[in-house]
Amino acid sequence: MTKITQSLAVCLAAAAFAVPAQADTVEFMNWTYTEDSGRDLIQSLMDGYAEASGNEVEPIGYAWSDINKNAFLRARTNTLPDIMQVQARFLPTIANIEQVQDLNEVFGQETLEAMIPASFLAMGQVDGRQVALPWIAGTIGMVANQRVLDAAGVTEIPDTVEEFREALVQVRDNVPNSVPYTMATKNNASILLDYLIWSWTFGADVIDAEGNADVNSPEGVAALEFMVGLMNDRLAAPEIDRPDARRLFGQEASAFYFDAPSAKNFAADFSGQGEDYAVNIIPMETPTLEEDGTPAAIQWGHVLVMFNEDNASPDSAASGFLMNLLSDEVLVDFALVKGALPPTVSGLDSEEVKSDGYMTAWAEAAVAPRANPIAPLSNGGAISDIIGEEVQAALLGQKTPQEAADDLQARLEEALAEE
Amino acid sequence: MTTSVDPHADTAPAPRVSPDARRGGLKAAERRFGLLLLVPALTAFGVVVLFPFLEALWLSFYEYTIAMSEPEWTGISNFVDVLTDEAVIGSFVSTLIFVGAATVFSILLGLGWALILNHPFRGRSALRGLSLMPWVMPAIVAAFIWGWIFNSRYGLLNAVAMEFGFIDYPQAYLSTPGGAMAAVVIAKVWLSVPLFMAFFIAGLQSMDREQVEAARVDGAGNWHVLMHHVLPHLRPVIMVTVVLGMIGNLQHFDTIWALTGGGPVRATTVLSIEVYRRAFEQWDIGMAAAVGVVWVATILPPAYFYLRQLMARTE
Repeated sequence: MTKITQSLAVCLAAAAFAVPAQADTVEFMNWTYTEDSGRDLIQSLMDGYAEASGNEVEPIGYAWSDINKNAFLRARTNTLPDIMQVQARFLPTIANIEQVQDLNEVFGQETLEAMIPASFLAMGQVDGRQVALPWIAGTIGMVANQRVLDAAGVTEIPDTVEEFREALVQVRDNVPNSVPYTMATKNNASILLDYLIWSWTFGADVIDAEGNADVNSPEGVAALEFMVGLMNDRLAAPEIDRPDARRLFGQEASAFYFDAPSAKNFAADFSGQGEDYAVNIIPMETPTLEEDGTPAAIQWGHVLVMFNEDNASPDSAASGFLMNLLSDEVLVDFALVKGALPPTVSGLDSEEVKSDGYMTAWAEAAVAPRANPIAPLSNGGAISDIIGEEVQAALLGQKTPQEAADDLQARLEEALAEE
Repeated sequence: MTTSVDPHADTAPAPRVSPDARRGGLKAAERRFGLLLLVPALTAFGVVVLFPFLEALWLSFYEYTIAMSEPEWTGISNFVDVLTDEAVIGSFVSTLIFVGAATVFSILLGLGWALILNHPFRGRSALRGLSLMPWVMPAIVAAFIWGWIFNSRYGLLNAVAMEFGFIDYPQAYLSTPGGAMAAVVIAKVWLSVPLFMAFFIAGLQSMDREQVEAARVDGAGNWHVLMHHVLPHLRPVIMVTVVLGMIGNLQHFDTIWALTGGGPVRATTVLSIEVYRRAFEQWDIGMAAAVGVVWVATILPPAYFYLRQLMARTE
């Protein structure tokens, strides 16, 4: 009987070893997969990891504008993915989800500091926790379309606000049916970015270092008056959101707009000429009030968040996929195709990055990018709506710039008091 | 073994129900079976409608933002905020304008179109079929069509207006409060007219033609026939369509969101948009739930009225 039992035990053990280890499935929620220009790219990243590891990656795609909402809904129903792509400025909101993992505890702080420069690592930090790792990085700055400037007879990229305005007038007068500067005038989240950059350019903080509203100062009103003036002189137009700006810019109906470095890809797509068109996209410094002023730009990037405690081990399939996405072989090409920088030490040091003229020019144009001051606020969504509504009211002539600035100041003070 | 035979067996009346049956037992069994048939529908209603509503009602008494792991009891403060917040009050006003305009124009145009299509003419059947197209079309597709028509840069309306010299520059219709509200009302009316037209045609076809002909013999004109014969006959249909139209327009979201996103500024932010913004842009679930509960309260009176009409007709 003992022999029989021993034989059975041996057979069971042998059978256990003979069965191949079951492959894990990593759920990867992201918006790039839903974009025409990104679907194949993400698919190849997932296929590459699946082939190398034997694990599977299941894409969960949501449009950029829907992904945070779905993360929130999934958190309530315990159906969060393993890894999620997050816009860096929304990270403080996503970090409130309980299942977000501190990646210092997963990979070790020293390991991450050796792998990623501190300035980029900070993109993924909230309240002292490393809740995300940077995936691609850059800034939101101004781009110019060389073809449109040539058609308008603009021979030099404008340095100052005054030169910028003159260039816009030239475009308006010489390029039929154009919107010289496709300033965001429709969507609150988009309006916020244009408003922040112009406010900083004119010397207003919007929200100062102490966390107080600073929008109805003379500088803040001047920024609004400048934006309203562009509308009144048909140098900017109503009903423009970022996707509209990208399309008009790529179709040579706009000379300037603010975007992330991926502006190059959008222009290539909308021009109908593909990557050959990218040479016409000029990253430029945001015009300043004085010639030697500091051009304004906003820090920008995508980060990767890990959910669920089960994944919080460096050996988990989710950790493996995360590290795979940040490996040089995968990351450098992906970042450059997306028109952004790979935020790892080795990625930044790679020959491909150093020889990329577009990214070099972009980095030179973004001298001192500032963090979005609205994003870290717990009621940042509500404040973003308040700013969007008041600025839009001024742009569409429903309020004077001074009235809009006064109302904005009052509403911001009330909202910041609730923060 | 002997068997006794009842001599009256052939003549005695057969019992109609079992002597064991209780009075009313058959009806009780039918009722029980009826209730059993209701179980799937009641279960679906409970899971899909009642439970989410009760949860929303519960959340409306809490502060619950994405920054909070657990909701915190705040009593009626969300409702106080809802009823004192200028933005929410503005949403009520926008809802009132949208529901009023969309309902009135849908009914007027639906009735007018039904009157035209009720007359015999060549191609009437084809036109009736084509008239249903907006109703068949997904609302979001309709919104994009109207978005293209009203677009300030490449819209059809601007192109036609410029072609005929009515305007010198393209106009941004969706960037003015009045223009945006008109656009969302027009899009919704376009979607609603076919359904209302179908209601009215059904009502018109049940009308006594001899009565109309007799009125005409007595010298009644079109206006008199419409006011004194057609409309009184259609009164129950009009009541139902008004109530259904109000309920549908109070609930409406997709076309408005796709066309204007609730803007410019807040000009087309009706209650459905307000709830969406509070919940998914500002992450204030407690406040969104409170607005939602008040929103449901505005839908209840027309819904009650509609159900009462329905019950009265079935009794």
